[in-house]
Amino acid sequence: MKKRQTLKILSVLLVLGLLLVTGCGTGTTKSGQTAGGPITVTFWHSMGGVPAKTLTSLIDKFNATHKDIQVKLVYQGSYDDAFNKLKASPDQGPDLFQVYDIGTRYMIDAGLATPMQNFIDQSKFDLSQFEPHVLHYYQVGGKLYSMPFNTSVPVLYYNKTMFKAAGLDPNKPPLTFAEVEKDAKALTATSGGKKVYGFSQAIYGWFFEQYLARDGALYVNNGNGRDKAATESLVNSPAGVQILTWWKKMIDDGVATNLGRQTSATQAAFGAQQIAMTIDSCGILPNLTTAAAGKFQIGIAPLPRGNDATDSGPIIGGGSLWILKNKPKAEQEAAWKVVQWLTQPAQMAAWTVGTGYLPINKAAVNEQTYKDFLAKYPSYQVALDQLHNTPENRVTEGGRIGVFTSARATVENAIEQVVLNKATPQAALDAAAKKITSAIQEYNQTMGIK
Amino acid sequence: MNAASRTRAAKVVQYALLTLGALMIVFPILYALGLSLMSGGEAAAYPPHIIPQHFQLKNFVSAVSEAPLGRFMLNSFIVSVIVTLAQLVTASLAAYAFAFMEFPFKKIIFLVFLSTMMIPGESTLIPNYLTIRSWHWINTYQGLTVPFMATAFGTFLLRQFFLTLPHDLFDAARIDGCGRLRFLWSIALPMARPALGTLGVYAFINTWNQYLWPLLITNSTSMRTVQIGIGMLQFQDATTWNVVMAGVVIILLPSLLTLVLGQKQLVKGLTSGAVKG
Amino acid sequence: MAREKPKPTPGSRSKSGVKAKGAKELAHALLYLGPSLILFLIFVFYPMVKTVYLSFYLTNPSGDPVVWKGVQAYLSLLGSGAFRNSVLVSFLFVLYTVPGTILASLLLAVLANVKLRGIGVYRTLYSLTIGVSVASAATIWMLLFSPADSGMLNYWLHLVGLPKIGWLVTTRSALPSLALMTVWMGVGFNFIVLMGGLQSLPEEIFESARIDGAGRWKQFRHITVPLLSPTLFFLLVVDTIAAFQSFGQFNILTLGGPDHSTNVIVYSIYREAFFNSRFGPASAQAVVLFVIILVLTLVQFGVVERKVHYQ
Repeated sequence: MKKRQTLKILSVLLVLGLLLVTGCGTGTTKSGQTAGGPITVTFWHSMGGVPAKTLTSLIDKFNATHKDIQVKLVYQGSYDDAFNKLKASPDQGPDLFQVYDIGTRYMIDAGLATPMQNFIDQSKFDLSQFEPHVLHYYQVGGKLYSMPFNTSVPVLYYNKTMFKAAGLDPNKPPLTFAEVEKDAKALTATSGGKKVYGFSQAIYGWFFEQYLARDGALYVNNGNGRDKAATESLVNSPAGVQILTWWKKMIDDGVATNLGRQTSATQAAFGAQQIAMTIDSCGILPNLTTAAAGKFQIGIAPLPRGNDATDSGPIIGGGSLWILKNKPKAEQEAAWKVVQWLTQPAQMAAWTVGTGYLPINKAAVNEQTYKDFLAKYPSYQVALDQLHNTPENRVTEGGRIGVFTSARATVENAIEQVVLNKATPQAALDAAAKKITSAIQEYNQTMGIK
Repeated sequence: MNAASRTRAAKVVQYALLTLGALMIVFPILYALGLSLMSGGEAAAYPPHIIPQHFQLKNFVSAVSEAPLGRFMLNSFIVSVIVTLAQLVTASLAAYAFAFMEFPFKKIIFLVFLSTMMIPGESTLIPNYLTIRSWHWINTYQGLTVPFMATAFGTFLLRQFFLTLPHDLFDAARIDGCGRLRFLWSIALPMARPALGTLGVYAFINTWNQYLWPLLITNSTSMRTVQIGIGMLQFQDATTWNVVMAGVVIILLPSLLTLVLGQKQLVKGLTSGAVKG
Repeated sequence: MAREKPKPTPGSRSKSGVKAKGAKELAHALLYLGPSLILFLIFVFYPMVKTVYLSFYLTNPSGDPVVWKGVQAYLSLLGSGAFRNSVLVSFLFVLYTVPGTILASLLLAVLANVKLRGIGVYRTLYSLTIGVSVASAATIWMLLFSPADSGMLNYWLHLVGLPKIGWLVTTRSALPSLALMTVWMGVGFNFIVLMGGLQSLPEEIFESARIDGAGRWKQFRHITVPLLSPTLFFLLVVDTIAAFQSFGQFNILTLGGPDHSTNVIVYSIYREAFFNSRFGPASAQAVVLFVIILVLTLVQFGVVERKVHYQ
């Protein structure tokens, strides 16, 4: 009987399946090292797409040239996914771990890592060749806890072809809020039923943080949480209110449009010439250039400023590499070798060329690969110049709190309230500041920070 | 209008409605397919294109080189098959008890089953991870499968189906001295083939689509499953959508193919009208 | 529930005899229920108990309980506007998606329940979305929903002369947009189940109805729907639970925004636990959500299943 047969097959499959279950586990050994063989360094990262490909090819090269150390590169989902996994069971963590910029404070407070400074001092590693502004972000009391790796800054992208068409000088991009507004007005047009907006930026908390720093304002008290642990949010300062007032006014005037939180939406609109100017990470230049190919020319300018704070500039963003402390000494030493190798000029140049992240090792700009890259994308220099022109102080070092992820989401919500006419800039930011402050205080309480 | 042309007109209307419905369902998938074949410039064009001007297979090459989708698909396949088979067994047994047996606390136990569907998965994630870790099942197939081998949903589905079977069948079988397990095996299950098919397809695809759990409990590329591959193609700062879509299309293909092939069997099972007996 | 009236026990049996019989029946049933129950015990109920326990504490970011808070988390949920908003948004989402999915699927199923050449192709196409993961679907719809003029849906609106919509970026349109996409995803499964139900309806009843001169609508209203009611009831229950548990589309498309307009309870739990590391309050929300769904399901079984017509 046919039905019988199907059932028989089904039961055989089930038995096979169960055998598979019990027989197929690879299991995990406490430390994956075999005596005498090369040391395995597990490296968790959160790079996707092209950056992931670049990182893989770099690590392949490392493995090929180092017989005594083999790096096992493992993608762990987004920064948050990876971070959550480490939090859930630190003892199952990797040797080398990529953490985003705003996870720094928690990593230190939780005491999960061996400070990078220990390795640096011990092997007299020369940090002078590294970009100071990037180092300062990750330093605490002059001590480097992690090695900066993927680093970016926000810049203004503008459509040079549209600038020309609107009678603006394509070599004179706007530098202040007022100028952005003026140019956006000139660029806004309707032609053939198709509306072009002069400006648009994603509702992304990172941009707000950058504007705030650019205008010389702190994100949290106690020297941005760097003199001692922060206890209070300062996002509702006049500088913060000014940013949102400007943002909303342009939308109300119809010269900017709200495209939501996803930067990919503004990128797509910029590529489709629906918006003439936008703010984004310097890393997306190659992507935007592809989208613009044959249609228009892209210009880059520094992040616009709201006032004349001359002693200020934007912070940085991105991620850094951490060596976890609950691993055998030999593995940590091996991880340190990987970190050193990755930050050498040749590798850093390859990293920048492949991803658009900034070359944080100053010597990388002398590499031929980087020179070729710059010849192809000359405007990339603007991003690097912006990094160099930023003075060093508590503001530009950036805020440091353990609850930055939720703080950023809170600010994004405040921006939405303003843009969507639910609250005034002052009221929205007051509420946000209150919420962030209470989150900071709860964090300090549970982590035992006085 | 004569009767023949009226039926023809009715048929045209029927086909028109059917096609309209099909377009609404299929369009997003066609859109993904179209984007996956476009160049970066064309993907950003205005007005937006649906059908690519120049077919470009490069995106598929990029997708496969950015994420080892082949290995991921194999893992997902193994895991999905194991979970599906196990769910069919556990759910048939439980549904049989709920549909045909009388026992104390039946309602309460049934509710207990249903309540497992109501517990937010996000709150069981971490405790389950710790359990699996304490059993040293991290990075294993059993870690990926065992927690999902029971299904309240499947039990409910089969129970509903069993309830539509004439109860006399069961009584008749009992009078014949047919044991309970025999009855389940040789009468109830064969009749429930359509429902088993539905549950099978559902279980397979649901497991195929898991993301957070496999990410949490696997530590190496060789054990990763396919939805993580989609994540690997995306990156907040710079996402190339046509490559992502190529990845989406690659991982969609097996489940859609399963469905197209399985559908025939499924529809056949459905139309055989087991219930009419 | 239709089938569960215990059979009258014949005549004069002693009380202990009944009890013993009950115990034996229970033991027998447990043989069948055992595999599932054991798995549930380990992977669902044990974590749930842990969740309830955590809801009484303030935890550190690793999730270890640090400060005993008693029922304070629950009290502050009651007084919290944000949580009330989450509850409201969750209910609205269920209201938008569940009837929408069932009606759309029923329409397609009735449409496809005919004998026409090539009908198999249509049936396959209608069930296609069952094979699309939330992650894939959300990625595709993210592009369709692009709020710029160049977005596909907005371009269509432009073609027919309608103003563009913000889709996911305004508080008014975000939740309906997510619901639209969720209905699309749900149609595949609902269609298959309803199709199975329709196909198993006895043809003779319809024939005699036709002979009695009943029109299509009458047949549908008085024969199809009642006979299909076990299937419809099943879908009502599982779709409602699934809608309350929806997560992927919120996580990928809106992150609960804009301005919390799509911050359903499940997303809020995820956010509190994994981003804000507040496992205590997150656990309290999980418990509340569980109670809400439980009560709703009980109501469905108590009120709706009475009207369900089992053969």
